[in-house]
Order: sequence, then structure tokens, then C-alpha cells
Amino acid sequence: MNKKFSIVIIVFSLLLIIWLGMGVGDNELPYVTIDELSEDYSNKPGKRFRIGGIVYQGSVIVDEKDPLLTNFILEQEKKFMKVSYHQILPDMFKDGSEVIVEGIFDGEVFFADNLMTKCASKYEGDLRDAAQGSEKI
Amino acid sequence: MPIFGDLTLSISLGLSLITIVLSFIYIVTKDKRFFFTSERTILSVCFLVFLSTFSLFSSLLNSDFNVDYVARYSSIETPIIYKFTAIWAGQSGSLLFWLFILSGYVALVVIQNKNKHQKLMPFVIITLSSIQLFFLILVNFVANPFIPAEANFVIENGLGLNPLLQNPTMAIHPPILYLGYVGFSVPFAFAIAALCSKELNTSWLQTIRRWTLFTWLALGIGILLGGWWAYNELGWGGYWAWDPVENASLMPWLTATAFIHSIIIQEKKNMLKMWNMILILITFTLCIFGTFLTRSGIVSSVHSFTASSLGPIFLAFVFLILFVCIYLLITRSKYLKSEKKLESFASRESGFLFNNVIFVSICFAVFWGTMFPVFSEAFTGSQITVGPPFFNQIIIPISLILLFLSGIGPLLAWRKTSKESLVRNFSIPSILGLVVVLIGILMGLIGLYPIITTFLCAFVFFTIVIEFWRGIKVRNNKYNENIIIALLNMINKNRSRYGGYIVHLGIVIMFIGFIGKAFDIEKESSLRIGESISLSNYKITLLNLRESERPNHYAWIADLEIEKDGKIISTLVPEKRVYFHKNENPDRRQPHSELSIFSTWREDIYSIFGGIDTEKDLLSIKIMINRLVKLVWLGGYFVLFGTVIALWPKKSLKRI
Repeated sequence: MNKKFSIVIIVFSLLLIIWLGMGVGDNELPYVTIDELSEDYSNKPGKRFRIGGIVYQGSVIVDEKDPLLTNFILEQEKKFMKVSYHQILPDMFKDGSEVIVEGIFDGEVFFADNLMTKCASKYEGDLRDAAQGSEKI
Repeated sequence: MPIFGDLTLSISLGLSLITIVLSFIYIVTKDKRFFFTSERTILSVCFLVFLSTFSLFSSLLNSDFNVDYVARYSSIETPIIYKFTAIWAGQSGSLLFWLFILSGYVALVVIQNKNKHQKLMPFVIITLSSIQLFFLILVNFVANPFIPAEANFVIENGLGLNPLLQNPTMAIHPPILYLGYVGFSVPFAFAIAALCSKELNTSWLQTIRRWTLFTWLALGIGILLGGWWAYNELGWGGYWAWDPVENASLMPWLTATAFIHSIIIQEKKNMLKMWNMILILITFTLCIFGTFLTRSGIVSSVHSFTASSLGPIFLAFVFLILFVCIYLLITRSKYLKSEKKLESFASRESGFLFNNVIFVSICFAVFWGTMFPVFSEAFTGSQITVGPPFFNQIIIPISLILLFLSGIGPLLAWRKTSKESLVRNFSIPSILGLVVVLIGILMGLIGLYPIITTFLCAFVFFTIVIEFWRGIKVRNNKYNENIIIALLNMINKNRSRYGGYIVHLGIVIMFIGFIGKAFDIEKESSLRIGESISLSNYKITLLNLRESERPNHYAWIADLEIEKDGKIISTLVPEKRVYFHKNENPDRRQPHSELSIFSTWREDIYSIFGGIDTEKDLLSIKIMINRLVKLVWLGGYFVLFGTVIALWPKKSLKRI
């Protein structure tokens, strides 16, 4: 009887591995650089990517008519990419913040449907920002 | 005070080393005096750690900004309660707090087991001391919470605690989660001790059974509180995002859940010894691994703990633990053979076994998804992430199998279940489940997963109800007790069993809450005063936009009126706040959206203040209708209640 159990468990484990593989295939989201993106997107139009960078200083433009539509430029080591995001922005989003965006690239603009800010770490602030008293002697 | 705290940490480090050495000498020489001394030294370590923690607390309370940690995580304005919680707000403080909880547990174990488990205790002490030593090394040399602030000026006020953490849930979520994480050190230590001393009968298991259950509960409640906090504070409308940090806490919970099920078989049937050993060792390893995940920054997470030098140290510790565990398991494998074999697929033993296989599978799937970016980068050179859709796609079906198993478990007999009884026991809950699904479909239930889940929830619910009903009936016939007395006596007679069923009931209720997720709707929109939007059968009108300056922040407030089918039912007041609004450096000002939620059993109306265009008086807002969320929290209360019943000491039973 224990043999039968072992077989069932082995079969189940194999199924699990196949199942996991299928899950990865359906949902993989490559984390790319701007260079890689410009190469990759043309092979797979409509594929989603994830890309990280800095919001370029002064590039954030909220649309005149639709305040939910935001356009900005993502900077990644002197490479730039236009990003368009049509949702409410996270609290920590601002000029110069580090962001990760997920979405589709059309060759010119990256249409993000998910935008995450990585900023709370900034909170581990600098003691220079603390209220300063007299200088220590 | 900080010098005192620092000093106690250094002394503890030395004493902790001495404890380990003394215990080894005892094991070799069998001279009792060394053992008694080691008991005392380990208790002293615990005491010194308490003192050190209190010293940090008193520095925080007195706003002693000469201490770097105090200057970073508190300010004069921080309310007292949050000065207290600032202990675990930062890296080094939270490590000290971890050590503090561990020391509490260690002291309890040592005192509780004085003169008990003579053969196990020296190894238990060595294991616990080694864990303490690891954390003592960290707080002494890598992340010392007492290092003085390095500034060439007198710090008059600290930076203050992150406003997101200034929330009552956040005040209790970390300590409860820590109680869970750290608590697994004790079962782990007993497991290692059993392996080392070859005392592998079930007595060590019985000792840690309640420890494990308590720790499991703390971890579970900690996870749930984290979800509650995310839902009520973070403003993305959900309670679970499959974020690496959340997954890190879920993984040990899953293996621990498997463990508390499978030890029942070892206790009753003396089977699965090896398996149980592996489960508890893995659970603790996953706790440390989880800490590694959250501290190393190896996978990007929305919970931005600072990436730090701690990553490699924790990883090294994980490998050390794994090495010791594998070595012990291999050398002791002959003592871990089961005497009995499984007899039938349709038996409770195999039910438990499959339940374990599923729990471990889910844990593996979570691990795989969480670590996929790391693996893919290591093997292909490019980082590929898999987001929440991956986890939902993979884990929902597997967890439905689990839900099904929790329903048939009680229907199966030990050893072997006859076909007739299986059919007899199956038919009523299945039919009732189908009836519930039909009613659900008539009320608008659609979608494959929601329908299957509804059926399974009903099925499990009715098997549990029938199980209770049968027990009551028996007592009612035998002792002529009325229903309520029979119910209470029945639960009292077999607390772990019926407590377990109540926990299952809680899980069923949570799953019903999860179904609600499939029917959530949301809308983002921009509104002027007087304008409104409609969503489902609600109409939301912006009545007014206000501004207000408060002691520690500046706020814009939207007054929203909620109408349902033409009747005003509530008002919501989401806010956009800016903390540190007086700071001259705009980068230091911290915006924060304060949510406003109107909650009913059926659904929550969840409003998020997106932004405001002050020139045009235009508000951007997001409204979500989240169904059945309250049931998830209700389920949590059931889990808590059921576990407390199972945990309640047996002694009082004799009195009744």
C-alpha cells in the first residue's frame, strides 16, 4: 500500500511542476532595461514588461482635461522613455522618485497599468534633516 | 542609559557563549553542576536582554536624540504609544525586539522544563542559545541600536516615526507576527534535541504541541492583521498582494499548518516521524529565510525595508541551519522509521497525508513564485518576475483541493472507511452544497471558481455542522442533556477536535470572503463640488472640499455622500494629508492618502483621495466596491476562537 501512496505523491508532484511551469509561462513579466525593451518589444507586440528607473526631474505632466492621466519621462542611466499612466498616482510618486512600472510598449510610449514607488526607504532619513541645535564643540 | 543597554548586550554575548560551552561539557562529562550553571547563564542572558530592551525604550521615551536610533525613528511630537512601537520600526531595534521575544520564550521554556526532559534539555539549551548568539552577534556588531548619533550639532528633534506606522494595527501587527516567527524556535530546538539525543518517541512532540499551536496562531493572526492594515491604510483596496514580504510570512505558516495536522497521526498512530521532523525543521528555517528575504532586498518589494548588509549573514545562517538539519536527519534516519503502514486511501491517515502534501505544495508554489526573479536571473541572466496573477492562477485551484479535503477529513474513519459509510456521509452535505450553489446562481453567482468555491464552502460547512449535530445527538440520548449543555460538554471533552472544527469553519468563512474578490468593482473619476458618479446601485456625490491644518500634518478633505437606491446611507471623508508640511525641504514632506471606508457585511465602499487640483477645485478620486471583505476578518475571529479552545489547558477539565 505504501508503494501506491508513493506513486500518487510522485504523480502529484510532477503535475505540480507542470502546473507551475504553465503558470510562469502565462504570467512572466520580464524585468528589462530601456535598451532591452526597444529590442524586445518588436518581437512580441502586446507583451507586458516591467521596467524601473527614476522619474526625470520636471517631466511630470498631468493632462489638462483628464487629471487622472499622467505623462512623465523615465530615466535609466541617461536613457529616457516616455511613460503614460492613467490611474490615481501613489502617494510617494513625484519628481525624482524611484519607480517600477509594468505595462505595454508601443515603440514610443510605455503604457503603464501598474506603477510602484520605491521610496519608503528614503524615510530612513538623513540626520542632517533633523532639527538642528547649536553646534557641538 | 544607552551605554547601559550596549553593555548588557555585550555581556549577554559572552554569557551566551559560556552557556553553549557549559552544556557541551555537561553532555560529555555528565556532571550535573555544569547543566545547572548553564540553566542559570541562559536565564541571565534573557534577563540582560530584557534590561537592554528597556534601556532602548527608556531612551525613546526620554527622546534621547544622542542615540542614532532614537533620532531616526522618533521625535518630540511622537505620541507615547508610538514611541514604544518605534522599538520595532527600524532595522536594529527590530532585531533587538526579536531577541527580546526570543529571550522571553527561552526563559519560559527553561523554567517550565526544570527537572523535566533531562535528556532533551541540554540540547534544547544549546540550540536556543545558538539562536540567541546569532542575534546577539547582529545587535552587537552589525546593527547596534545604541550607537550614538553622528552629527556635528546637537539634535533638538528627531526625524519622527513614519506616519504609515502610526496606526493602532501597526502597533500590534509586528509584535504578534514576531511572536509567531520567533516562537518556532522552541519546537525547532526540541526537534533538534530529540534528534541529537535520539529520544525520538512522541514525548518531545507532546511537549511542543501547544507551543506550536500558540505560535501558529500568533503567526496567522499576525498575517491577518497585516492584511487588515494594508486594506485600511495602504489604499489599494486589497488585503493580500502576494508581495515577497507577505509570502515570507505565509510560507512558514503553511508548513506549520501541515505540521499541526500531521502530528495528530504521529500521536495516534506513531507514523510519519521523519515527515514531522522535516516539517518543523523546515518551518523554522523558513522563518529565518523570511527574515533574510525581507532584509536583504534580494527581491523587490513594496515593503521597503532598507536593503542592508544583513542579507548575506542571514543567508549564511539559513545554510548553517539547513546543514545541521540535513546532517541530523541522515544520521538519525533509522530511528525515524514508522512501525505502521497506511492501509487505505479512504482512511483518515491518508486524508491527513494528502492534506500535508497539498500544504507543502502550496508552500513550494509560493516559494517558487517569490524566488523566480532570482532563479531566472541566475540561470538565464535576465530577471523575470511573476506577479499576483501567477499566484492566483496556481494557488487557487490547489487551495480548493485543500478546502475539499477539510470537508471529507471528518467523514473518513481511521484505518479504512467502508464504501457504504462514505456514500452515506457524503450524500447529505453534497446535496446541501448543490442547493446552496443553485440559490447562489439564482442570486447572480457566476464564474467557474466562485461556483466551485461556493459549493465546497457549503459542503465543508455542512459536514462540520453534521459532525457537531451527531455529537450532540449522542450526548442527548446518552445523558439526556439539552442541546446547549450537550454542545458545551462535547466541546469540553474533546477540545482539540472541536476547536479544530471551529478553525475550519473560520477558514470556510474566509474562503467565502475570497469569493467576493471576484465581484469587486472600481471606478476612478474626477469630480467638482456637486458632481456625482454612479457605481453599481450607489451614487456618490462630492458635497464639499475642505482644508485643515492639524498638529502634525496638513489635510485636504473631501465630503462624499453615499446614496443607495435613492436613499442617503452614509458620508465618506477621504483625505489627502501631507506630513512634515512645515519642513523646508519639499522632499521630506510626506503625502499620505487617508482612506474612508463604509463597511457592511455585503460590501465595503472604499474611497481613496487621489489628488486635488486646487486651481480648478477638481478632485480625483477612486471608489471601489469590495464584496464580502468583512467575512475575511470574521473568519479570523473564528480561527482565533477555535484555536483558543484547542489550547485551553486540560486541567480545568477535571473539575467539570
